[in-house]
Amino acid sequence: MRTGTLDRLHARITSIDAMPTIPVILRPLLHCLDQPAEQIDVDRIVELVSYDKTIAAQCVRMANSALFGRSQPVESVRTAVMNLGMWRVRDLLFSNSLSQVIPAHRWIVAPTVFWRHSLGVALVCRKFAEILEYPDTEKAYLAGLLHDIGILVNSMVAPDEFRATFQKATREQIPLDEAEQSTLGFTHSDSGRVLAEAWKITPDLVQAVELHHEIGDPERGGPLVAIVHLSDLLCRLRDMGYGYYEPRQIDFANEPGWLYLVMHFPNLAGLDLARFTFMLDEYAKEVGELVSTVFAPR
Amino acid sequence: MPNESPQVANERPPVEGISDPAWIRIRDLIYHVSGIFQAENKFYFLVSRCQVRMKAVGARTPREYLDFLTALPSRDAEMRNLLNEITIGETCLFRSLPQIDALRKIVIPSLAEAKKKSSYTKLRFWSAGCSTGEESYTLAMILLEETQTRLKDWTFEVMATDLNERSVAKAREGIYNDYAVRNVPPEFMRKYFTQTESNFRVADSVRPFVTFTRLNMLDDSKMLFMRGIDAIFCCNVLIYFDGKSKTRTVHHFYNALLANGYFFLGPSESLYGITEKFHLVHFPGSTAYWKPGDSLSKAGAA
Repeated sequence: MRTGTLDRLHARITSIDAMPTIPVILRPLLHCLDQPAEQIDVDRIVELVSYDKTIAAQCVRMANSALFGRSQPVESVRTAVMNLGMWRVRDLLFSNSLSQVIPAHRWIVAPTVFWRHSLGVALVCRKFAEILEYPDTEKAYLAGLLHDIGILVNSMVAPDEFRATFQKATREQIPLDEAEQSTLGFTHSDSGRVLAEAWKITPDLVQAVELHHEIGDPERGGPLVAIVHLSDLLCRLRDMGYGYYEPRQIDFANEPGWLYLVMHFPNLAGLDLARFTFMLDEYAKEVGELVSTVFAPR
Repeated sequence: MPNESPQVANERPPVEGISDPAWIRIRDLIYHVSGIFQAENKFYFLVSRCQVRMKAVGARTPREYLDFLTALPSRDAEMRNLLNEITIGETCLFRSLPQIDALRKIVIPSLAEAKKKSSYTKLRFWSAGCSTGEESYTLAMILLEETQTRLKDWTFEVMATDLNERSVAKAREGIYNDYAVRNVPPEFMRKYFTQTESNFRVADSVRPFVTFTRLNMLDDSKMLFMRGIDAIFCCNVLIYFDGKSKTRTVHHFYNALLANGYFFLGPSESLYGITEKFHLVHFPGSTAYWKPGDSLSKAGAA
């Protein structure tokens, strides 16, 4: 994006005082999770879960859901957290706390659609990272989860224009960023970057937010951007997209992000992508379950 | 006459019976003749199919049945009967909706776009392993719909082949029960079917576009004649093939396809480890293998 547009966007976001603030729970959570999986402090996570009655109740509800098929009902938050595992608890915490960023009536992309996509991309990013033996699978997960926060910004700072843009994308079955570029003059990657910077998220995550659609030069963003870019595409093709049909054909093995990753992570060359894709349908089922738990009527 | 004899009870042999060397020999014989190979985890399927035939011919043990399959004069006919039994599959019209969407919204437009340049306005689809014709008629109905709307002035044909003679005969009949047509959208139902007393008959407007032929995909001499195809559909057929036969067949498919052509497998089949000549491409909710044009083909690919 041109510097001028970015400046104007920045000015617009800050001047109208509509900038979403970082959720209270998010910073300690990011801190807690920004370390190797084996060093994650379970007690701290249970504590964070317990801060918020809604989230605590959701953890318990999810632990009791059909997905886990427990014979004994789960009643305590701690047991729920242990049964769900860190990943799912974190999914719940993130989607909840980020959902609080904007008021319920201001969502333009339906929250269920948004979270199905964001959590789906996060999950696929982590799987990709595991396959690649990328050293920080949790970072990849976070990058996937946060990559579309610009959609929240757009919903807040330019609700009418963004609503029209989303309708145009849905109607014309074109990629959202393409529709944004033509009607708003900037994309959710641009506005997401502004928010990510304001939230003081680590620079590599900011890059993943900013560049996930602009993979032109993969060297610039490095592996994290490429992982998010490919996971985003895969999810949009496996029923974890923006809720509308995107008639496109993707040849992953010839995507610049893929070629870049193959060069740096030889493991990728041996991946059975077809099988990986079939596996995504299982994820879609799990993510669907999680999203319906988070957004179930209370 | 009702038969409560011990033979009936023994129809389903105990698990250890499966390791009877005669079953292995039958399995190897089927492979030798047709290239259809039942791996260990598919063995129960092979045994159950054989048992249907054993009952029909009155063979009491796999050893006895093996004689029917190897001794003149019965062997050729019986092998065909057994193959019929093995390859008979349950299927329905409009089985995979994501694949149909991909065809209509992405594949057919892309094929037409590529072919327009050569001003050759005919599309040729091959339904390979067409069974009783559900997929073949589905393809014809979709192409008919497209050539009446977006692709006016275009023509098309669907070549449908199967190893199983009985399936081919049934496919030609083009009559299906309500279970087989359960996925057909109402507008297609109205346009392309006539209802008989208890069944649905494929309309005459569709039939001229589909030709059904018996074809053994492992018969190299016959496969060499299949050329100039835009899209091949081979769903849950290669799964019965061993690696070598699969590679050979897929090689034939590759050669049969025009550049930019598509090869569709069953929804959970993969060509991984078979060939790298095709590019796996993703559509919303489905995948296919794409034959690149000359400039994009991988040099030296297996």
